[in-house]
Amino acid sequence: MIDPHPAVWARDLAKTFRVPEREAGVLAAVKSLVHRRMKDVAAVKGVTFRLEPGEVVGFLGPNGAGKTTTLKMLAGLLHPTAGQAAVLGHVPWKRERALLSRITLVMGNRNQMQWDLPALDSFALNAAIYRLPPAEFARTRDELIDLMGVGELVTKPVRNLSLGERMKMEFIASLLHRPQVLFLDEPTIGLDVTAQRTLRQFVAEYNRRTGATVLLTSHYMADVTALCRRVIVIHHGSLLYDGDLAGLGEQFAAYKTLGVTLDGADGAVAGVDWAAFGEVVATDGAKVTIQVPRASASAVAARVLSELQVADLTIEDPPIDEVIARVFAAGAATAAAGTDGDDVATPSVVEPAATSTA
Amino acid sequence: MSIFRLAAAHWRVNALNELQYRVNLVVQLFQSLIALATGLIGLSLVFRQTDDLAGWSRPELLAVMGVHLLMGGIIQAVVQPNMQRLMGDVQNGLFDYSLVKPVDAQALSSVRELRIWQVVDVLVGAAVLAVAVVQLDARVGVGQALWFVVALVLGALSIYSFWLILTTGVFWIIRIENIVELFQGVYQAGRWPVGIYPPWLRGGLTFLVPVAFAVTVPSEAMTGRLTPQTMALAFGVAVGLMAVARGVWRLGVRRYGGASA
Repeated sequence: MIDPHPAVWARDLAKTFRVPEREAGVLAAVKSLVHRRMKDVAAVKGVTFRLEPGEVVGFLGPNGAGKTTTLKMLAGLLHPTAGQAAVLGHVPWKRERALLSRITLVMGNRNQMQWDLPALDSFALNAAIYRLPPAEFARTRDELIDLMGVGELVTKPVRNLSLGERMKMEFIASLLHRPQVLFLDEPTIGLDVTAQRTLRQFVAEYNRRTGATVLLTSHYMADVTALCRRVIVIHHGSLLYDGDLAGLGEQFAAYKTLGVTLDGADGAVAGVDWAAFGEVVATDGAKVTIQVPRASASAVAARVLSELQVADLTIEDPPIDEVIARVFAAGAATAAAGTDGDDVATPSVVEPAATSTA
Repeated sequence: MSIFRLAAAHWRVNALNELQYRVNLVVQLFQSLIALATGLIGLSLVFRQTDDLAGWSRPELLAVMGVHLLMGGIIQAVVQPNMQRLMGDVQNGLFDYSLVKPVDAQALSSVRELRIWQVVDVLVGAAVLAVAVVQLDARVGVGQALWFVVALVLGALSIYSFWLILTTGVFWIIRIENIVELFQGVYQAGRWPVGIYPPWLRGGLTFLVPVAFAVTVPSEAMTGRLTPQTMALAFGVAVGLMAVARGVWRLGVRRYGGASA
């Protein structure tokens, strides 16, 4: 056994895939029959982080950043090329029963339910695989069905359910054994807004009731903002950021947004030289929204208050989507400049506690 | 043992699934009858020319046919559908779910599917075998029947291991769909005792594709031709193939990269 705390940790975890490579065209295809050219692709280049028990952490990054590869290493599906990791005190890729019966993996675009049968039959199958005592299984199943609000759907064949309803069943099936660590890979992908919200509330409530640790990847920022106080950002296989979601804006947003509402008639807005304060991004009646460099936001706000007849003033970070887009753009620029993502600011990467890997 | 519990849980679900499609039973009955008829016609054609084929009498060859049908039923009911599903799962990434379950992934991947209507083939094979046994001059004792069951199990394990080794290739070469047709073609050769084939083909059907151990050896057990040496060889081949299959499986799983990683 390894130190059971934290719930999940990774140190210098890296994965390189060897993939065949060839030019387009018939000639290249024939050539590759005889001589196969292989190329190493570093999907994850040594990431280090730790998750405390009960944390819900968003794992962010553009497509191909290394999120899923990292998640799969932590779930024991992939052997890393280098580095160490532990989940609940176990080395995940040894795939010990003691670990696998306490974790779960939910993938948004993969279905594991029995297509032609009601979900209840798939639940029973999972109960047999996880060897759940019948009474405990029935109790957990009913609790999860109730929590998800799908009582009338579980007796319908899965093929007759909508995508959102099927995903709800996937979640119930995946949590019947009350896992302590949840790896959720794009669980809400392709779902409508209502289904997304239901799943978010479900995960939040499961986390509250059981104290489970959750590592979530999603391209929907609403998932992340609703569930995660902490985010880990990965790009080109390296960590760019690990810290509070709120801190992400402070770290990466170069500007703030000032919302200024003037006293008096709408015409008052037109008589002001806004360019002297910052860049105007929107005008709506008596309200003007301007962008100002982050460092001078307070000073500009003070000038606005002293020079203009202000009814209301707000200072905000830009929307999280924009911040994330900037983070990714920064990572891409760094990669294009020929440096490794590791050299980009990694403001609060937490070193795992000293542990042994016995 | 947990593998039986695992199989029982999955087979229950499979049965529930297939019971919804009764027409499959009719199709299967039809297929089995055609296989039975062509087999019997083949046998009668042979025995119109001769009274014995490489030392095998008519009822003995009928027994081989019964075992061939029976074993074919087992392969198509359990082995082949599981291996085909495994291939598909590795290709589309669903194999991830097999790896995160707290059970042996090889065991799980080997027992998930059951085509219950293929049981018709097993029953028809058993009936043909029973008729053959009645026609045999010598009585079949309990010991002989027991050896037959052991040989049948060893043969099935050999075939399963052979299939698994081929299927595990999917971890290296993504597309190997044609092995089903390849195997079925070779399996048809098992309709006759391997002793009737030329030595080079006999070797291939014994060690390359273990059809000899799946059909001929159990037939020998039933017809009183089995020698202890052959039985020991069948045991050795089954254990050896299972060990190789396990080793190749482990290598393959280690190499598995998932569909989207």
